[in-house]
Amino acid sequence: MTSPVRGEIELRPDRSVRVHISPDEPVFAGHYPGRPVFPGMCLVEYVRLGALRTAPAPDLELAGLESVRFRSPVLPGDDLTITMDWNREGQSWCCTARASTGRGVAANLRLRFRHVDAP
Amino acid sequence: MTAICEVLAHRYPMLLVDAVKEIHPGREIRTVKAITRNEPWYRDGEGAYPPVLLVESWAQSAGVLEGTPGDDRTMLLGALTGVEFHRPVFPGDVLENHVKLATTVGPMAVFTGSSSVAGQRVLTVSRLAVSYQNVRKGE
Repeated sequence: MTSPVRGEIELRPDRSVRVHISPDEPVFAGHYPGRPVFPGMCLVEYVRLGALRTAPAPDLELAGLESVRFRSPVLPGDDLTITMDWNREGQSWCCTARASTGRGVAANLRLRFRHVDAP
Repeated sequence: MTAICEVLAHRYPMLLVDAVKEIHPGREIRTVKAITRNEPWYRDGEGAYPPVLLVESWAQSAGVLEGTPGDDRTMLLGALTGVEFHRPVFPGDVLENHVKLATTVGPMAVFTGSSSVAGQRVLTVSRLAVSYQNVRKGE
């Protein structure tokens, strides 16, 4: 799948993931000119990608965002750490995640995934 | 006609509203965004449009609804609940966003709505809460 983010996601021994937010991420050019702030929905994209790296089942796709709460901005040069906890809920899987930078929690999230072939 | 670039601080490649089709200030808005293969996300890949950018386009439409040209404030996403992706969106599709203002509480605004392609719903957003911060609009 295509993605608006370019960073390399590192899977750590504790099953968290880490990614460096490079000033070269293409979205910074327009968000915002002269005042780069990493878009909140691109933070959600890194959580989606991190979740897929730790997925408990094959062939999952994002089905919904049950909740996302943005706590603090993500800026160029930040190192983003994402911790995740998976739970099965009927036919879908829920991933409860926390994304943090050196300044503290950036977002708390709950993402729902479904099997790719699900109706 | 609402001047999107005067209301939103977003610029290429993160300006994801093409046109306002209908606006009732303080109530609701309908916007469109054409999905094209010429967006940077398709540089190295094929396939469905990134679902997070569907939400971004919808949220920017909320920003147009509540924004005022020349205002120095810009919208900050606060919280999202009950977002559902119903079907994938591809280059060639025209995304139609429908955003309604649900309530305002002090400096916070809450929006609800959906997006569709050719009459088929692709996205539901139960609730988006935003706040505002001073940011100079891009040149």
